[in-house]
Amino acid sequence: MAFDKMELRDIEVWDGNHAAAQALRQCQVDVICAYPITPSTPIVEGYAQFKADNYIEGEYVLVESEHAAMSGCIGASAAGGRVATATSSQGLALMVETLYQAAGMRLPIILNIVNRALAAPLNVNGDHSDMYLCRDSGWIQFDAFSPQEAYDLNMIAFRVSEDHDVRIPSIINQDGFLTSHTAQGVHTITDDVVYNFVGTFKPMNDMLDFEHPVTHGVQTEEDWHFEHKARQHNDMMTVVPDKIENAFSDFEKLTGRKYNKVECYDMDGADIAIVCMGTSVETVREVVSEMRKDGLKVGVVGLRVVRPFPFAEIGDTLKDIKAVAALDRSAPGGAAGMLFNEISGSLFNTDSKMLLSGFIYGLGGRDLTKANIRDLYKELQANVDAGKVLTKQQQFIGVRGPKLAYL
Amino acid sequence: MEYKGWDEFEIGAMLRSFDGAIDDIAGTAQADRKYSENNSYKASVADWRVLKPVFNKDYCIDCQFCWIFCPDVSIIARDKKMIGIDMDHCKGCGICVEVCPTNPKSLLMFLDHADSEAELAAWPEKDEEE
Amino acid sequence: MSEIKKIKNLKDFSTSADRFEGANVLCPGCAHSIIVREILNATNDDLVLSASTGCLEVCTAVYPYTSWDASWIHIGFENCSTSIAGAESMYNALKTKGRLKQPDRNPKFIAFGGDGASYDIGLQWISGCMERNHNMMYVVLDNEVYANTGGQRSSSTPLGGSNTTTPAGTISYGEKQNKKDLMGIMAAHNIPYAAQVSPNKWKDLVKKVQKGFATEGAVFINAVSACTTEWKFEPKDTMLLSDLSTDSLVFPLYEVIDGRELNITYRPKNVVPVEEYLAAQGRFKHLFRDEYKHLIKEWQTRVDENWDYLNRREAARV
Repeated sequence: MAFDKMELRDIEVWDGNHAAAQALRQCQVDVICAYPITPSTPIVEGYAQFKADNYIEGEYVLVESEHAAMSGCIGASAAGGRVATATSSQGLALMVETLYQAAGMRLPIILNIVNRALAAPLNVNGDHSDMYLCRDSGWIQFDAFSPQEAYDLNMIAFRVSEDHDVRIPSIINQDGFLTSHTAQGVHTITDDVVYNFVGTFKPMNDMLDFEHPVTHGVQTEEDWHFEHKARQHNDMMTVVPDKIENAFSDFEKLTGRKYNKVECYDMDGADIAIVCMGTSVETVREVVSEMRKDGLKVGVVGLRVVRPFPFAEIGDTLKDIKAVAALDRSAPGGAAGMLFNEISGSLFNTDSKMLLSGFIYGLGGRDLTKANIRDLYKELQANVDAGKVLTKQQQFIGVRGPKLAYL
Repeated sequence: MEYKGWDEFEIGAMLRSFDGAIDDIAGTAQADRKYSENNSYKASVADWRVLKPVFNKDYCIDCQFCWIFCPDVSIIARDKKMIGIDMDHCKGCGICVEVCPTNPKSLLMFLDHADSEAELAAWPEKDEEE
Repeated sequence: MSEIKKIKNLKDFSTSADRFEGANVLCPGCAHSIIVREILNATNDDLVLSASTGCLEVCTAVYPYTSWDASWIHIGFENCSTSIAGAESMYNALKTKGRLKQPDRNPKFIAFGGDGASYDIGLQWISGCMERNHNMMYVVLDNEVYANTGGQRSSSTPLGGSNTTTPAGTISYGEKQNKKDLMGIMAAHNIPYAAQVSPNKWKDLVKKVQKGFATEGAVFINAVSACTTEWKFEPKDTMLLSDLSTDSLVFPLYEVIDGRELNITYRPKNVVPVEEYLAAQGRFKHLFRDEYKHLIKEWQTRVDENWDYLNRREAARV
């Protein structure tokens, strides 16, 4: 039975989960193995409804755990076809073992992570603990700040990951609830145009090519392992960045929507800036546009591509900025925040005199308020005026109790 | 196999069993296959052996017990006949000797460095007690 | 549906062109490869294979060598069932979409796991695959121990065995638990076909595997794999130990169809006392000390009771 195409309005009101499910449908994924978990469950449910209504021709395997979901995805991907899934938080934590396997085996799987805090204590709301958990897993990581971006980045991710020069899996992050459950206008692309953009899957080293049997998932010890991991890192560092640029550029030609590894808003002539991810970017943008009206030279930088980390772009963007706040939405576990560290790394050994301070915020879905953001810019300005960081380098904001500051 | 640098192999640590395409593996005898350099068929475990099996075809009834129970794919069967032992892949476990039903046995274990011709010449007689 | 390969006798069988290669690094005398060969040679159809971490896996795909002539995948310790289910799902998807490169083939999807990977860490994954009734065969290479890592107990390890994590000692006879009934658990999924096999009874094994290949849906095969290293017997005696395990009824050969119909497929003409099976293995040596001899009796009683149970199940046809 042939599957049906779906007629979409030019602008649909979708939340991030539905946008992701629609993108997966339109990309005509061959196999999805999935297991529901809050807040990504509606992706799994939405896709199930598409399947039930004959909009999906591929296989949809409802497995018994997230670990099995990615295990099935790996088997399916190695067999030779388009593969994707979705998860969050604890589910991702259970999946982590297999994330490393997928990347090491160079299987171009697409994983939607609807970001949520990691227990304990248990929490279903959005922070970036899960995103950070798998940041060294060897996956390309995109970050969507809105349902529109969750939709678009899925297509871009398939383009990048499935490129035979890349063959590295991709994660598309979106904030739990704030993006995943918040309906917004999404500019749609028609089914045919999307499929044409991602193209028919081109197999490589596929197990189902019976004339070319292939062994996947070998053991390498001290005599071979290092070379394989080196190859993986090298391709991430040298091949992937340009492929992402190309996909962004092709996508812009198709839709007019332009993505950048590092998204800059009001950064022209800015003295001080906040660097953050997820929906916080949108909140900070709103504050910035208000503050700009007051003549303040403030800007915001959103990280679109988390891995491979855009060192050069971050360095270029921030080198002349006088003070920067790095906002990490993950409990740092005894270190500076990831963004703080990566930004430091991008500017260390350069002539930049940037004053960097790190902030831990929003854990377990705690709101980042506009007042928080205004205070933060005030603090950055004070640092600029003093010519040094006046506070400790790491501060917690938005948490009750005595002030927490370290480093 | 030679060690290679990080830029000298295919991505994903994958291995190919054969060079080029193979149409009907199950219908192609091992001797006729184009094994890749990565196929363990091309490797040898001969140096594992302390004892080696010696095959005396004079007593063999081609029952193929040795073929089916050899863990190392080392009994060479052609057209339902037992024709020899693959000494690159034989680890010298001795199962073939144990399962050999003839009297005297058509396979016996000897020290790996023994002279097979001499051992064949001195093959034991039929054991009347069996 | 593909044709079932005709294997009338061993001479016929010996014309098979193996798709599993030597110079793997399994121990001399390892039963794993005997079982694998018997299974793979039971069909001429294309194969898509997976293995969980364990002896078979670490000894047959050590870079830069592979011992597999059919496509093969390993991910982790617990998930060879799900990885092959994923591959099978992709096959179905590409078939539907008309994108198979060789659409005229009838591939068989087989997953191999040890007892550690199957009775213990991978049980949930296998259960999921059986419940979803993927068109695949799951094979346990059951050597009743974590052999790859040096002989730790698994939930397949039988009572009284001395293992590195349940060693016999001055106050212990070793493993305190009885072996888990994985066949029972799998049959309770009401899968179309489950069977217990042993490589010494190759004809029984091949017949069951071929039945499995002809089955649409999930097939579970539990294969006893005598382990020279951990059961502690000489490598040459692997088939002797296999014979002892089936003929003592410690490892009875039977099948369960649709989770209901149980058929015993092998009835030894001369049933061997369990004591002989135990005595042939170093792992049970301590049981022959005076203070533990009652355990040998217990063993015999348990084996007899289980045989009786299987017979009653068979007779009841339920």
